[in-house]
Amino acid sequence: MANEPLPAGTAMDDESARLLNADLLQKFAALAGLVALLVVFSLIARNFFTVDNLINICRQTTTIALAGIGVTFVIITGGIDLSIGSVLAMSGVVAGMLVKDWEWNVYVAFFAGALSGVFVGFLNGAMVNFLRLPPFIATLGMMMIARGLALLVTNARSIPGLPESFGDIGNGALGTTYRLNARGVEVIGFPGIPHAVILMAVLAVVFYYILSSTKLGRYIYAVGSNEEATRLSGINVVKVKFFAYMICGGFAALSGIVTMSRLVTVQPTAGVAFEMDAIASTVIGGTSLMGGVGGISGTIIGAFIIGVLRNGLNMFGVQGFVQQIIIGAVIILAVSVDQFRNRKK
Amino acid sequence: MTTLLSVEGVSKAFPGVKALDNVYLELRKGEVHVLLGENGAGKSTLMKILSGVYQADSGAIVYKGKPVQFKTATEALRAGIGIIYQELNLVPHLTVAQNIFIGKEPVKMGFTIDAARMNRDAVEILKRLNADIKPTALVKNIAVSKQQMVEVAKALSYNSDVLIMDEPTSALTEAEIEELFKVIKSLRAQGVGIIYISHRLEEIREIADRVTIFRDGQYVSTDDYGDLTLDEIVKRMVGREMAHKFPPKKHIPTDEVILEVRDVQRRGETEKASFTLHAGEILGVAGLMGAGRTELARAIFGADPKAGGEIFVNGARVTVDSPLDAIQAGIGYLSEDRKAYGLALNMRITDNITMAYLDEVSTRSGRILKHLEKGVSRRFVKSLDIKTPSISQVVKNLSGGNQQKVVIAKWLFRNARVLIFDEPTRGVDVGAKYAIYELMDGLAASGAGIIMISSELPEILGMSDRIMVMSQGRVAAIMNIEGATQEKILHHAAGLL
Repeated sequence: MANEPLPAGTAMDDESARLLNADLLQKFAALAGLVALLVVFSLIARNFFTVDNLINICRQTTTIALAGIGVTFVIITGGIDLSIGSVLAMSGVVAGMLVKDWEWNVYVAFFAGALSGVFVGFLNGAMVNFLRLPPFIATLGMMMIARGLALLVTNARSIPGLPESFGDIGNGALGTTYRLNARGVEVIGFPGIPHAVILMAVLAVVFYYILSSTKLGRYIYAVGSNEEATRLSGINVVKVKFFAYMICGGFAALSGIVTMSRLVTVQPTAGVAFEMDAIASTVIGGTSLMGGVGGISGTIIGAFIIGVLRNGLNMFGVQGFVQQIIIGAVIILAVSVDQFRNRKK
Repeated sequence: MTTLLSVEGVSKAFPGVKALDNVYLELRKGEVHVLLGENGAGKSTLMKILSGVYQADSGAIVYKGKPVQFKTATEALRAGIGIIYQELNLVPHLTVAQNIFIGKEPVKMGFTIDAARMNRDAVEILKRLNADIKPTALVKNIAVSKQQMVEVAKALSYNSDVLIMDEPTSALTEAEIEELFKVIKSLRAQGVGIIYISHRLEEIREIADRVTIFRDGQYVSTDDYGDLTLDEIVKRMVGREMAHKFPPKKHIPTDEVILEVRDVQRRGETEKASFTLHAGEILGVAGLMGAGRTELARAIFGADPKAGGEIFVNGARVTVDSPLDAIQAGIGYLSEDRKAYGLALNMRITDNITMAYLDEVSTRSGRILKHLEKGVSRRFVKSLDIKTPSISQVVKNLSGGNQQKVVIAKWLFRNARVLIFDEPTRGVDVGAKYAIYELMDGLAASGAGIIMISSELPEILGMSDRIMVMSQGRVAAIMNIEGATQEKILHHAAGLL
């Protein structure tokens, strides 16, 4: 906007420069935190900053990032989705059973699994829109229902013995190279970019674009900023909220499919409390739980902060419980910094 | 009379703004001192310094002969300076007494709240205000005017010697304002010094002893109220001569009926209402609070469900079941509460202007064409003279008048030809009011039809071509501007005719 002519009677002065800076600061504070983590871990752990490990981090972060993208939409409308972890399990069960018991093609089954998540999102949207339930309550109920269904139909047992192709998304990689080692045995050179990471990256870009540059995206922000004013501007608020919850459900399901595919086993108990990771990544990335503020780029950064922390702490031999404590502290710190900055304005 | 509180050369700067520049104010015991100024004149900043929310950069505050600098609001309260903000600060789910004594509950045995004593003391304070309120009633269940009394009682419970009131009447009806004024007068008689901030020049006549005027963060003058004319006050507030409060009428109503409302009703709120609106006309809608004006407007706009009736736009019948239906028929509605119903405050000016008509600046696949969008908002920022450093400014940071212009821009961009302005100048300062009147006049002159709901009779008489008076949910009268008087309108509004 700097090179465009300015409206007469207004001065493009310090004010807009300041606003611009504040905006950049907001974005880059989280990013700077991520970079700092990378630097610190690289310095202390020798195996941290290697191609293998960085790809590993990406893979580990993918499921959080996917669910985070979805829930960002819901949170910007001022809502919340607690059913993500259960939908993750349920969608895996749907895909697994379709492959195992009905002998469906793996990819068709994956698609069906994703659709089941979209459907749960639709139900969440219906409860919020028509029963006028607070999103917290509606999705809390759905959290229990979806988890219960997943456990019921599988008898709480995992589904093993799935075809190898079931693991393609979770384990496959693109661009793997091989080389001969000193003894003339073929070994992996470049491990390749995991399919799941590519999927996540593509979807992140597409949904970043949807949120930042389309009417739907604008309406999502508008609903979160002032729902009634949005309705009185002739916008179908019901439709907008349906979209948000369906997108969220779809991403939760995708995240489930990636998780199960990685294990080549369906675990109906997977993803308990996983929604909290997704919400945490969103919040660390600067999206406000009050609605109206936030974005996909922040969520991706937030997801990577969590991913890098887990990976680095693991590598450093930090116990799992201690990791939880540290990540909890990071969430509190990140949001405090945000609050402090807003207050200063 | 003795000086209670004096502000001597206080300055306060925020990053990029000098909010107060060497200002003075002297409050005597037992006087009502009115502080006037447009939005941004620095009144609220000074009040916040006096009550300990902000600290002054330089200058002194002398209270009862001693220089003071309060670090927190509690400190100021304890010293006897009570403040009542424009927005009520009460806890709705607590009782009247609990609200009055919040933070200083009387205790027995060191830790349990002495509820009986609290209620007794509350009665005592409320009696001083002649307010008939039960101390055990929940605050959410009493009328706004009574809540206002509870605020006053809360401030008095500290035995305040100084009471600061920031636009206390903005949510009150005429009758309630009368009640409040009685209280103010009785407090004055008891020796309390009152600093009274208001936009409404008409109402201060009844209570003002002296008047101090600020402009753009600077001190202008202090006078006895009796020595000033209204014109002189306005001139000093805005810094220029405002010979007329209303712009000369440029618009001329035509014969063309742009909107016809037939038997539209909101169940339980209004009776069946019928009226017409012509192109180029401003139809003023007067009435007391609760007369059903906003309810009728919202029903016409499709914001609330109707219990029957028909709407015709340009002679064609239109079905209006949602705001979208109304908008597509060319109707726009500017709510009386623009923060709650008109604006997405966290979003930019641009987002708000295009919100109702994103189709116009996006591709069929739904991609917003940002350069078009920016062009549109730049055009409206310029044509409506919206004062802002940039079109990317978040609307929350604009003044009331400029926010109102953003809402107007939204409907103009949507090509609305029938505009319903519900209290268009509420919370807007004198200079910006004039600009909004000019805008409305210009819109009517360009062929739009305007329905202007207003509780300010001078505004109704100054702007309208015809006047519709509502009373208790029904249309009591529709009259031409010629021959209309405040008395006549009030008679209809009160249901006396």
